[in-house]
Amino acid sequence: MSYQVVTNLEQALAALKNAAEKSRIIAGGTDLFLEKLPENLLDVSSLAEALVIEERGSNLLIGAAVTHARAAASPLLCKKARALTEACAQVGSPQVRNIGTLGGNVINAAPAADAAVALAALGAKAELLDCSGNTRIVELEELYAGFNCSAIDSCQELLLRFMVHSGGPGSGSAFTRLAARKALALPMANAAAWLRVENNCLWEVRLVVAPVKPAPTRLFKTEALLAGKPLTAESWREAAQAAMEEVEVRGSLLRCSADYRRHLVGVLVGRVLETAAGRALTGKGEA
Amino acid sequence: MQKELISFTLNGEIIEVYADPAISLLHLLRNELGLTGTKEGCGEGECGACTVLLDGRAVNSCLVPAGKVKSRSVLTIEGLARGDQYHPLQEAFVEKGAVQCGFCTPGMIMSAYSLLQEKPDPTGHEIKTAISGNLCRCSGYKQIEEAVLDAAEKLKRKGKSS
Repeated sequence: MSYQVVTNLEQALAALKNAAEKSRIIAGGTDLFLEKLPENLLDVSSLAEALVIEERGSNLLIGAAVTHARAAASPLLCKKARALTEACAQVGSPQVRNIGTLGGNVINAAPAADAAVALAALGAKAELLDCSGNTRIVELEELYAGFNCSAIDSCQELLLRFMVHSGGPGSGSAFTRLAARKALALPMANAAAWLRVENNCLWEVRLVVAPVKPAPTRLFKTEALLAGKPLTAESWREAAQAAMEEVEVRGSLLRCSADYRRHLVGVLVGRVLETAAGRALTGKGEA
Repeated sequence: MQKELISFTLNGEIIEVYADPAISLLHLLRNELGLTGTKEGCGEGECGACTVLLDGRAVNSCLVPAGKVKSRSVLTIEGLARGDQYHPLQEAFVEKGAVQCGFCTPGMIMSAYSLLQEKPDPTGHEIKTAISGNLCRCSGYKQIEEAVLDAAEKLKRKGKSS
């Protein structure tokens, strides 16, 4: 029967250990608070180690307790992880972005969570800690157990931060979505791309769309098709067609039919590829 | 949950209240502290009627557990006026006809206040984005945008003269 706010990692792990799996970690709480709250809560939204945004070597470290608003406004992320800042700027509403966190966006495990889709395109890995301080590093896509169901047990493990490659020369990324309204609406579909260009051709591509599977979904076939292609409108058209053929989408009575969503995936894939390639060429939106 | 001592800064004053930390900040304000200016619309973060500032940033108080505000600072619509002197945003909402039924107004004003703290000279687009999490079901948003612009002007003039 408690609500405990922790501010450093030592405190957080000690609290997790003391609670013996009876305390659930909460961050922004914007999703969790809509469900029945567990008896004991451990608030990690002020946890210093989970609030970092920094470049270390060739990686960006992004704390799980960073809010969407803070990520969207980060000059470092705007320069080096553009897909993520674009995604974070479109989550929910200003009020939700001011308190909802990147870690929460992933652990809530909604299939088309914007920040998670962008993180997947950027090749994010998650760093998790158990109450004894043991660390494990997991690919973002492996954090999903099913639709709206995380593979992380938040009574046992703490999601500390994400690691993302900081791109490098010739790389660019982008995110886009379509929803019925510009705010307070879940997307009918969203897409994010990271790519690297050499000699005016696509060298590496990571392309992610949602909602398709429980986790943000890589389009491996479309990615393979794009390897070595020139940066032309024809390439984006081919990719859009390939993406529409590759995805298996479901319709939703609330948002859109499966046919419309499939069409939309093609449109959004074309757009993110073109935007990311433009950024890779100009060097302005490095990764 | 059992009641706990929750100490935080509310409209500039440090207060202590015994409350269940699992209730929402909205219910803490309205039911435990009698501050009914903050409205409950949808109760699930969709309408913005319950917007308050937490450490200077607009949040939906219906989605914030009361336990989260320990040692932090909360500003509600009641904290804007200085004695009998309404805040320029409050005056502008009245003067520009931005209030109809009034239910969304406290939330709108808190979102606008948060914007003006960060951007004293906002563009129309910035105003629209700032209030994009606040729904008005009476008519529309035009007068609300005009009121925010008007208040920004007044605040700028006031800033220059003081």
